[in-house]
Amino acid sequence: MPETEGPDPRTDDTASLVALLNATWFGANLLPETQVRLAGLARRYQAAAGTTLLTEGQLANEIGIVLSGRVSLRTLVPEEGWITILTVEPGDIFGQSALVPPYRSTSNVVALQQVDVLALDGPGLRAALAADHDLAAQMYPRVLQAMARRLSATRLQMLDLLAR
Amino acid sequence: MTTVTRSAIGFLPRADFQRLIDLLSEDDRTVIGPTVADGAIVYGEVRAVSDLPRGIGAEQAPGSYRLVDRGNDLLFAYTVGPTSWKRFVFPPTLAVSRSHRDEDGHVSFGPVPKEIPKLAFLGVRACELAALGVEDRVFLGGPYTDEDYRARRTRSLVVAVQCAEPAGTCFCTSMGTGPGVRSGHDLLLIELDDGFVVTAGSPVGSAILDQLDLEEASADQITAGSDQLAAARQRIGDPVVAAGLHDRLMAKLDSPRWADVAERCLACTNCTASCPTCFCTSVSQRSDLDGQTSVTERRWESCFTKGFSTVALGGNFRPRVQDRYRQWLTHKFATWIDQFGTSGCVGCGRCITWCPVGIDVREELNVIAPPPQVVLGNGKGSEAHSPRTSVFRVDAARRETQDTVTLTLSTPSGIDWSKLHGEFVMVSVPAVGSVPISISRRLPTGMELTIRGVGPASTILTGLGHGAEVGLSAPLGRGWPVDMAEDHDVLIVGGGMGLPPLRPVVDEIIEHRAKFGEVRIYHGARTPGDLLYAEELARWAARGDLEVGVTVDRADATWLGRVGVVTHLFDHARWDGTKAIAFVCGPERMIQATVTTLALHGVTSDRIFVSMERHMECGVGLCGHCQMGPYFVCKDGPVFSLAQLGDVFGREGI
Repeated sequence: MPETEGPDPRTDDTASLVALLNATWFGANLLPETQVRLAGLARRYQAAAGTTLLTEGQLANEIGIVLSGRVSLRTLVPEEGWITILTVEPGDIFGQSALVPPYRSTSNVVALQQVDVLALDGPGLRAALAADHDLAAQMYPRVLQAMARRLSATRLQMLDLLAR
Repeated sequence: MTTVTRSAIGFLPRADFQRLIDLLSEDDRTVIGPTVADGAIVYGEVRAVSDLPRGIGAEQAPGSYRLVDRGNDLLFAYTVGPTSWKRFVFPPTLAVSRSHRDEDGHVSFGPVPKEIPKLAFLGVRACELAALGVEDRVFLGGPYTDEDYRARRTRSLVVAVQCAEPAGTCFCTSMGTGPGVRSGHDLLLIELDDGFVVTAGSPVGSAILDQLDLEEASADQITAGSDQLAAARQRIGDPVVAAGLHDRLMAKLDSPRWADVAERCLACTNCTASCPTCFCTSVSQRSDLDGQTSVTERRWESCFTKGFSTVALGGNFRPRVQDRYRQWLTHKFATWIDQFGTSGCVGCGRCITWCPVGIDVREELNVIAPPPQVVLGNGKGSEAHSPRTSVFRVDAARRETQDTVTLTLSTPSGIDWSKLHGEFVMVSVPAVGSVPISISRRLPTGMELTIRGVGPASTILTGLGHGAEVGLSAPLGRGWPVDMAEDHDVLIVGGGMGLPPLRPVVDEIIEHRAKFGEVRIYHGARTPGDLLYAEELARWAARGDLEVGVTVDRADATWLGRVGVVTHLFDHARWDGTKAIAFVCGPERMIQATVTTLALHGVTSDRIFVSMERHMECGVGLCGHCQMGPYFVCKDGPVFSLAQLGDVFGREGI
């Protein structure tokens, strides 16, 4: 769990958290009640460049939405070291492993710049999604969209098109 | 005895035929006509009547050819054989240019001196005259012309012979080219049992006819000729419905029959080698051992070979036989019309006879693109000229990445090169070959070329230093329509080596910045070490009036920039693409992903311009390698609007 430098989440009122959500690609245009539910599960934190936000193989307890700054997803390649396979830019998410068993991060997540993150509590969100199908119907397509975008990008990267 | 005049019709008894051969042989002219060799009728030198195939015919069927003795005295009672007149006006191999590098390293380029023979073609059928007409359009229709072809063609005299012996593989009637000769000949012979009805089709022919001093042909003889032709026409029938074939065929690019025919096709290239109109070529360098003098040789090539459409590093746009068969058939019967205003097929049937597995193009057409009928497209033509090679000197070489160098090249020509249109140049390296390279900056005295060393020539180019000399053609191809982007927002997306061709666009926009709306430049590279123009990208970004986004496919932990595909630079952006024009260059698959994302932003296909990569050899649309649907990428492109490419864009094996 990264060291939190921002204000205590309990002091962020719901309205300002909803406003932050609305300013992101991931959170914009969700139904107002969905945004309020998510705000209730959210905390905001800042982390300095170089901070490891999640570690590959460790429990992912939060889904992070990047509000500002840049986050890298890295994986260890033998003889090459830590390779950045993707950067997560403002508006996009990381730590979605918190929604998918076994809830462990599939990469190291490292802040490349000072980052401002809105983090959704993983266990809390899972419980809410299981209990509230309207929330799930709003939330899952957005998660799926983020994953599909990442998948198609990864395929193109695998093709190594720019090697030619 | 009645002496005939120019407009009249004479009769030449067979016993006097040597007189015609002798007249044709005057002025050091060599007569080429039908001879029997290697079990076939082939065109070779004819000095005497005895060289001609007296009484010999040829029975032909799909995959079958047999000479037969007809037991008569007819000299032209055969149907066309494996050779065509093409080889005499467009030789199978030809030295096209030479280059020399002297001991001081200076290079020079020049033509290869050659003597063009004066020939008389004896026994040209209607379908073959049509084939020469097709070749005339290809090589002389412009914008680029083949001057060697022109010289050979204009020094050839054509003696046509009316066809009375169609083979089982003929379909000239369907293609509208025969069996009757209509034009393009100097003399026309109609062979009857005892001699020839002779007419002239040109002033040269009339002069020969006058010299023959023949008796006038009788009405019966003329009628016999007409009857012969009618009988031939009836025997051939109309096996292919040509009307509307273009559109029917192009609508069937996804026909399962392509895979079916590919199961039978051996990709042996016999069809293209025997075709009287196929004109694709490749060039190779023949060098002396010290590399000082080399000759560029052009040779016939076939779109059926696997290597025909390969590009640098072995990429192949038509890897499957079905891709190549589709390319050949659709070019011959459809896109040829778009390019040259005429079908590429004259219905001579050679590709059917000489196919070792007997694939019958008539049957394939009727299965793939059966009637009904629609209207054919139009051709185009423009001013004719040929590209020349100029010597350029390397003024500076700047290493961009481990394998990529930007050369600054100039020539003291007095021409302002920055004003010349064209997207790329053919760069000639003596003793090695030529490669097409996009212009990455236009300069008054020359240009910059950013080159990645991937093959022999490009690797040598990336090793050149100050003072080295290379040969460059004038700028070729159609470039980016920057003027269309005035008063619009502009998106420039370059993947890898796709950025250098776009750099002149950025230069032009910066020079006239006020004319354009918001300008966004997105560049994707493989790794941080592969980023091109890193300092320049930073300068563009620092201007404040250009948005610059850079990403790489993968990076080590020291890279603090973006990692991901180039479309991630703007897929979540909120700008409005309905007022934007986009210029996209890079690997085709990257372009596909980019244009999909652009479409989601509202950029319509007529405002998305892409640069297509294909195998280029000649650079002027005369070698056939870079064909993409109805286009030659080198001449009609390489920049196209997405709307222009239509469903050709992104199609497998096109």
